[in-house]
Amino acid sequence: MDSAQEQPRASAIRLIFEYEGDEVRLVSQQPVDMVVTGFDLTQVPHPGHYVESRDAGGEPLNRVPVREAFEASAEVFPEQPGEPITRIDVPEPRGAFTVVVPAAADAARVVLLQVLPEADPRAARPSGPATSPTAGEPQVVELAAFPLETTTEEPQSR
Amino acid sequence: MSTADGTVIGTTQIFGSAPRNRAFNVVLLADGFRQAEQAAFDSACAAFLTAFRGTPPYDELSPAINVFRVNVSSTDSGADDPAAAGGTGATANTYFDATFGGNNIRRLLICNNSTALQVAAAQVPEFTVVLVVVNSTIYGGSGGTIGTYSLAGGATEIALHEMGHTAYGLADEYPYYAGGNETGHDTYSGGEPTQPNVTANSNRNTLKWRWAVASATQVPTMSNPDCAHVDSRASPVAAGTVGLFEGAFYFHCGAFRPEYDCKMRNLGVPFCRICRQVIWNRISPLATLQGRARTPINVVARYPEHLDVFGVANDGRTMSNWWDQNSGWAGWFQLAGGIASPGGAGSPITAIARYAGHLDIFTVGTDNRVYSAWWDVSSGWSAWFPIGNLQCRPGSTVNVVARYSDHLDLFTTASDGRVMSTWWDARTGWANWFHVLGGVAAAGATVTAIARYPFHLDLFTVGTDNRVYSAWWDERAGWNGWFRPGDLTCRPNSTVNVVARFPDQLDLFTTASDGRIMSTWWNARGGWGTWFQVSNGVASAGSAVTAITRYSNHLDLFVVGTDNRIYSTWWHDPGGWASWFNVSGGVSQTGGQVSALSRVTEHIDVFTVGSDGIVYSTWWDGATGWAGWFQLAIT
Repeated sequence: MDSAQEQPRASAIRLIFEYEGDEVRLVSQQPVDMVVTGFDLTQVPHPGHYVESRDAGGEPLNRVPVREAFEASAEVFPEQPGEPITRIDVPEPRGAFTVVVPAAADAARVVLLQVLPEADPRAARPSGPATSPTAGEPQVVELAAFPLETTTEEPQSR
Repeated sequence: MSTADGTVIGTTQIFGSAPRNRAFNVVLLADGFRQAEQAAFDSACAAFLTAFRGTPPYDELSPAINVFRVNVSSTDSGADDPAAAGGTGATANTYFDATFGGNNIRRLLICNNSTALQVAAAQVPEFTVVLVVVNSTIYGGSGGTIGTYSLAGGATEIALHEMGHTAYGLADEYPYYAGGNETGHDTYSGGEPTQPNVTANSNRNTLKWRWAVASATQVPTMSNPDCAHVDSRASPVAAGTVGLFEGAFYFHCGAFRPEYDCKMRNLGVPFCRICRQVIWNRISPLATLQGRARTPINVVARYPEHLDVFGVANDGRTMSNWWDQNSGWAGWFQLAGGIASPGGAGSPITAIARYAGHLDIFTVGTDNRVYSAWWDVSSGWSAWFPIGNLQCRPGSTVNVVARYSDHLDLFTTASDGRVMSTWWDARTGWANWFHVLGGVAAAGATVTAIARYPFHLDLFTVGTDNRVYSAWWDERAGWNGWFRPGDLTCRPNSTVNVVARFPDQLDLFTTASDGRIMSTWWNARGGWGTWFQVSNGVASAGSAVTAITRYSNHLDLFVVGTDNRIYSTWWHDPGGWASWFNVSGGVSQTGGQVSALSRVTEHIDVFTVGSDGIVYSTWWDGATGWAGWFQLAIT
């Protein structure tokens, strides 16, 4: 090609969180120019942790998965090939994790969510409409919310 | 023991040249290396790079990978090695506070994850994964949001396994929690795991990696006869066979893995086919696509704010990318592991959207049989499946028409040139291939089709005498033809493209034997016109003339010229034919193809393989005119 058009610059924010037990802190918000994949709200959230961006009215804008955080166990690796990798329970998870979220123009805050596994995934489902969560529906829990700005903030709610 | 115990010296990119903002960026951080020991860290990074690049599929993903080394000096050498966990009792003041003996397990080597993430973010803001290399020959490592490993032999394997978790969400495939003698891990009873490489589903037809399971492979491939224990028997099938192996996800039974062994099960072995594909699907979309130079790209708009693009990589992989008005380009991904026939101009992937939530795609595989796959909004992509046993010419095109939403008609050429067709109907499924009216196409010619009405088809091809031939099918009269619409002599491998500006009008475009760009028309009232050269245009040898219609009185044409530049012209009533013009300076290759689609009337999207082999796109908008060409990847 003789000419190539610059793609629109991706605008995103890298967030770094620290956690210890139930306490979660947002310790860094850093604008970054990079592509973000897998933030589609239309995807059914699987069990796990997510960071969801919301506008000032609380409407979800995008949702990215959190991987390898809040693990209740740690992997221990064998020195010799062929020996088993094992896991050991971690009594109180602590550590840090990062996510990169799209920098939506109307994003006002981010919310750390936990989608809990279905209570009984193989239980029979009710045949009629339900007015409250039933067995088989994943439960979404808000763990913490943080305003999106350049300074570090403490959680607003848990 | 903190960041006061050292200094960040600087960052060096040790591999890759991908744009940082759309690359898989690996950052290696030094811990426990004093200023005078930085060369040892450099060597460790080089060793990691060798191991990393030698591990499939990373060996094939270099265009989208960067690796950075962040040199950090520590006050002391090494790491803490607590005696309580069986260590020497040594302590070391280091920048990232690395210590063996996490959870009283000596081999569990951990560090301050938050510091590591913040240093990586400061040095390489676009990083994807972070690995901390600890200056100790004691064996150890750990995973989590960052990977940590020591200089002991083989510890890089820990880093590669942990990247499987951190970067791709892969599950552990080992069938035990604490080595196999634990309790409570006999049979998995939870829901379907969300991870792509483990499953609780033993149904072959709904298995999440069914696309990779050969029809001859038994499912389940290996069942555990004693769920109280780990199944330690040898594999019943050859290494590399994808199937369903019981024992995974920390359970002896009830959870399954795709292959007998995998790096997510054991260190020191390759990633299994499924994990390789997951890694590929994560990294590959970041890269541009090197396309087969002469294979057409196909594009479908399921609705006006969405495009699905299908191309063939220069190694034959069947690839797709999609654009949505809300999220931009998704990035290239391989369609169910497919490889297109390498013959001729290379079989393109043809696609059709019978309705907005469904796609059907077709190509000729490396065995020269016709294959299809579908995507449905409710179930995602299917595996490729063969349609009958027809042997095609290598590199044949399979053209498809949907006369109505529950029906498909396919057209291609057999190995001996016979013009062949089959159909699919929602009520009856696939029919057998049949030879259309004894027609035989010239070598390299395609069979194009159009449905002006739900009960009518028009076919066009170039015959063995290099003349244009047509046939038609009508629900009441059946098949009729072949006949010659005029006496034009074409290049033998010409494509006759056709558009219907309205149901009783056809406009045909092809290339004469000397490359002249020719057109004729048919009208229900006046019959066939005579062939004429369009605005004195001449096409590159092998380049087809692509035509779209945005209004009943308007046509847009695209072609690669004899100078390999990409040209366009238009016809408008009133006004007639415009002169050819070069589209935004674009250059393709000899015999290159230009694809175009109008998803709304005042907008055209155009696609081609550029002179550098990369797939490009541009667009025209009625309000802003022609945009510049851009490399199609991820937005």
